[in-house]
Amino acid sequence: MANEQTLTRPGSAGSGRNVGGTLDLGLADAGKAGGDRWSVVVNLLGVLSVVAVLAALYGALIWAPREAQMGDIQRIFYFHVPSAWVAMGPAFTMVFACCIAYLVKKDLRYDRIAAASAEIGVMFTTITLITGPIWARPIWGAYWTWDPRLTTTLVLWFIYVAYLMLRSATPSGHRRARLSAVFGIVGYVDVPIVFMSIRWWRTIHPDVLTGQDSGLDPSMRAVLFFALGAFTLLYAYLLAVRVRQDGLAMRVERLRHLLQQR
Amino acid sequence: MDGIGFLFAGFAAFWLLLGGYVVTLGWRQVGLKRQMERLERELSRVGES
Repeated sequence: MANEQTLTRPGSAGSGRNVGGTLDLGLADAGKAGGDRWSVVVNLLGVLSVVAVLAALYGALIWAPREAQMGDIQRIFYFHVPSAWVAMGPAFTMVFACCIAYLVKKDLRYDRIAAASAEIGVMFTTITLITGPIWARPIWGAYWTWDPRLTTTLVLWFIYVAYLMLRSATPSGHRRARLSAVFGIVGYVDVPIVFMSIRWWRTIHPDVLTGQDSGLDPSMRAVLFFALGAFTLLYAYLLAVRVRQDGLAMRVERLRHLLQQR
Repeated sequence: MDGIGFLFAGFAAFWLLLGGYVVTLGWRQVGLKRQMERLERELSRVGES
């Protein structure tokens, strides 16, 4: 991120001229040590998240006991619930927070983090909307019903897909950031609605996390909470990679701009 | 399709979506790095001339 400030126009530090055999973009040393440290942290996060997700997979498929009524199909729940949690918990909440932060600080870095988080949130919501019906077919006898939980989750998916479409249709810059920020804040209204749909309306969707009698065996609960942690780590890693990639895309754009000025 | 079949379908869907997203990220990264190297080379050439 420090490189944003050091990539400058010709004639000043970081002139773009060839200096001593290296390209003087003012990028060479600015923040390099910090960048290396950040890379190490991101790579470590990647290794940890892969190990955690694989351990969660082992727990879900092998270690967790077989559910008495639903049988093995119930094991989808160990991936379905964490996916929903990542989408509606860290991912879209990060979008909401960064949208507010952008409107307050007018710093485009918050806009980029919001966009990255929305992309990951949409991906995990898609996983939720696909694994849920696959579970539902043998249990409810139908892939889909217009149940409040399912319907509000589908609406949530449409909202954030629209957020991403809005961004891709608008040229980058503060105008896009402003539009996206407002959209991201308003769109977040659906997240508590999804969460509370089970309480507010009649629904056949199980309430495992907050229901008084979730019917979960302690070992099932342990696997579920471990999977929740593993998926959260995975989200953090994907977000870090995606934001770093955005930084690279920005540098490419600025290099192109510099070249056009010649 | 019995319970195991649906379970397999669910996990396959999960890994396909997650894997697809990771592959897309990797593809984008490779593309950006190549663009960056090409632009740096061109700027260097323009800088020399």
